[in-house]
Amino acid sequence: MKKVLSVVLALAMLLSLASVAMADYSGDLKIWVAEATVEFTQKMVDQFKAAHPEYANMNVIIEPVGEGDAASNIITDVEAGADIFGFAQDQLSRLVAAGALLDVEPENAEIVKAENDAGSVAAVTLGDTMYAYPMTSDNGYFLYYDKSIVTDPSTLEQVLADCDAAGKKFYMEINSGWYQTAFFFGAGCELTFDSDDSGALVAMNAGYASDAGVKALKSMIKVAQSPAFVNGSSVSNATNLCAIVDGTWDATAAKEAFGDNYAASKLPTVDGYQMGGFGGFKMLGVKPQTDDDKLAACDALAAYLTSEEVQLARYNAVGWGPSNLNAQKNEAVQADEALSALASQLAFCEPQGQYPGEYWGLATSLGDDVIAKKYDNADDAALLEVLKNFEATCEGYLAK
Amino acid sequence: MTDLDYLKLSKPQKMLVDLRRFLAALPGHIGNGLKNLVMFIVNFFKGIGLAIVDVIQTFIHGDWKTKVSYFVMGFGSCARGQWGRGILFFVFQTLFNFYMFNPNASQSGLYYLGKLSTLGTIETHKEGRRTVYGDNSFFILLYGVLTIFFIIAFIYTWYTNIQQNKISEQILKSGHKLKSTKDDLQSLMDEQFHKTLLALPVLGVTVFTILPIIFMILVAFTNFDMTHQPPGKLFTWVGWSNFHELLASDTASHGNTFRQVLLWTLIWAFFATFLNYFLGMLVAIMINKKGIKLKKMWRTILVMTIAIPQFVSLLYVSKMFAADGLINTYLMKWGWISAPIPFWTQPGWARFTIILINVWIGIPYLMLIATGILMNIPADLYESARIDGASAFQMYQKITLPYMLFVTGPYLLTSFTGNINNFNVIFLLSGGKPQSMELTGNAGYTDLLITWLYKMTVNDTNYKLAAVMGILVFLVLAIINLVAYNLIPSVKNEEDFQ
Repeated sequence: MKKVLSVVLALAMLLSLASVAMADYSGDLKIWVAEATVEFTQKMVDQFKAAHPEYANMNVIIEPVGEGDAASNIITDVEAGADIFGFAQDQLSRLVAAGALLDVEPENAEIVKAENDAGSVAAVTLGDTMYAYPMTSDNGYFLYYDKSIVTDPSTLEQVLADCDAAGKKFYMEINSGWYQTAFFFGAGCELTFDSDDSGALVAMNAGYASDAGVKALKSMIKVAQSPAFVNGSSVSNATNLCAIVDGTWDATAAKEAFGDNYAASKLPTVDGYQMGGFGGFKMLGVKPQTDDDKLAACDALAAYLTSEEVQLARYNAVGWGPSNLNAQKNEAVQADEALSALASQLAFCEPQGQYPGEYWGLATSLGDDVIAKKYDNADDAALLEVLKNFEATCEGYLAK
Repeated sequence: MTDLDYLKLSKPQKMLVDLRRFLAALPGHIGNGLKNLVMFIVNFFKGIGLAIVDVIQTFIHGDWKTKVSYFVMGFGSCARGQWGRGILFFVFQTLFNFYMFNPNASQSGLYYLGKLSTLGTIETHKEGRRTVYGDNSFFILLYGVLTIFFIIAFIYTWYTNIQQNKISEQILKSGHKLKSTKDDLQSLMDEQFHKTLLALPVLGVTVFTILPIIFMILVAFTNFDMTHQPPGKLFTWVGWSNFHELLASDTASHGNTFRQVLLWTLIWAFFATFLNYFLGMLVAIMINKKGIKLKKMWRTILVMTIAIPQFVSLLYVSKMFAADGLINTYLMKWGWISAPIPFWTQPGWARFTIILINVWIGIPYLMLIATGILMNIPADLYESARIDGASAFQMYQKITLPYMLFVTGPYLLTSFTGNINNFNVIFLLSGGKPQSMELTGNAGYTDLLITWLYKMTVNDTNYKLAAVMGILVFLVLAIINLVAYNLIPSVKNEEDFQ
């Protein structure tokens, strides 16, 4: 009797073990990715299902939701949001603070750390916790220009002069907190925020209110005064394009707009310093899950969709630059004009960390003031006052 | 001042006197209002007191059927043969009990009611890697309010049930027969037909309008924002601090920005309403003038702007005025200006451009309305004026304008209200920009209260401040409408043109 019991118990144990290892899941799983990659993601999901028979019956729904909207939509209604969603790193702390993001499974986190570039790993980590899977390392900006007009893309002064002489325009969105840092970081200022594990921003390291900051602000004012300057960062919205500070996502549009005169380079120098900026990343996140089996499926699928193989396939399909170190060494990636311009620009950039949501609005206000020519006649002391005010307001955004 | 004195005054003087009278009467009005309010509250509680006494006395003096009905609703009705009413009462009580005390549902009415004072205390936590959601403050607030509604409805029904018993007893005592279920159904189609017709709309308005409004008002007193987002995080009551944050002038508050935005909202509404009104009327008069040829063509051309969807034309026009847009490019090409005009980037210009473009899209509507009314003004009025030797301007001032104002007074008022909340034009043209370091809360110089509210909800997930703003927008509109409504000629001199 005892023997039978022990066999039954052993069997039961084996069965339960097997069910843990085989955690099959056949329910719904919703993914939000940018519209351009929906088809590609569908193909990758099919491959994933083929390689993992335990998930073969899973019903994966892929919806096109842009990286910008995904975070807002998830935060508005966590329960109705996608289980796996793509977003840009500036949304990370906001998502974590709203409780809309699950930390990365520890084993996967180790792999992610080993296989992706340091900037992207830092970008997905808050405190000591990794919250998302890096997907691309191409969210930065550089200069696209018309090489028949711009004679020398190495100084901004020359670029502006060339554009103006041809009656054309230079586009840069200086009222965006993202593009603005090209001046401030380039001039040697710092603006970063430290966050704790829960996504709350607890400390600020700022150097805007300094001589370097005033220098950067003066460059912005100078650029805004140029008759060739237009505030903007989208090739498709530009009507009189000669040069534009923009990212890899617009590479196709830029090629179309410039035709044979298409060229890309790192950002120019202005007032004698090299313009800097943010190195940015796109990532995949998993929503908090209440079901263990579904959670395992989400972990596995998110890890697969950001693996070396898929990152490389994504580059080939839609041209997104990989964050995976091996994929970055691929020949095709290295030969890409826009990506190589970005790569040379990234040498002067800071990996973009976490910023409070209000920072972007504040930066827009500063940029709008510059464009509205409010500071055209301001002296250095007045500009320093503006930047002091800027820093103080930023400090007010820290979690109390 | 006698009536004769008043009639001797000129038009502006009359208006001044009107305004003075209105303001002088205002304290009285407010006093009356307050008195009525106090009376209402007193009567309300008096009524409740009387009802309680009535309920107790009915229990003491009623028969056993009535007494049982206190605990099992509808029992008395059923026992006296009014099955239809009785079953309805009983079903309602059962539903209510099921909703309130259902032990199988962890979230019954009692649960929501009990948590309403804190909006939830159990935090979301993780077991291993699995997330276990705690209390959901959002649902607690929503269903808590719903539960209170439900309880009030229950108490009312319970009271009705007792009244029914009391009345039935009296009717039976006096030797009359009670209404059968068939009679009840017939009366619902006959003398009580209003109840049949209104049942569904009243239910709909309660659930889909009144409940959300109360919910939104309550949100203004919570800290429901980006960092307190259900289901991951809890939010709770914070009292009046959101009002302080929006209205106070210290550095952490938005008071200065709020006043700036409010002022621009009023300026915008004024120009958007009256500039369109007078220019539209002018265009209509010009087209209506005798001797103008191709009247139909002029009207068609103007109405074309209505035919194109507004958001298409607005987005297009907004691009036209951009720094690299059509207008700046051509002005520079012709050498009229050396640098682009900052239509959208400088506060003053942006406001001016928006009002200008709004005139362009607003005139056709006003022209259509004015054309209809102008054709209605009796021609003999003009004829006699002409015989008396009145100039064109005098005729406009004495005949056309009063007639127009009388007919379109209510329209002016609604259009002013509509313009205060004119989201489309502002959002599509400028998006509220330009922003400035001098304004807080991401507000821009062309933001109306309503577009600022939109930014707060959609971009910043700051529901608490948005709710406060919603309440304030309502207050602003209510005050303006009440004052203006009492001053427009259509209300004041109702008989003038009849």
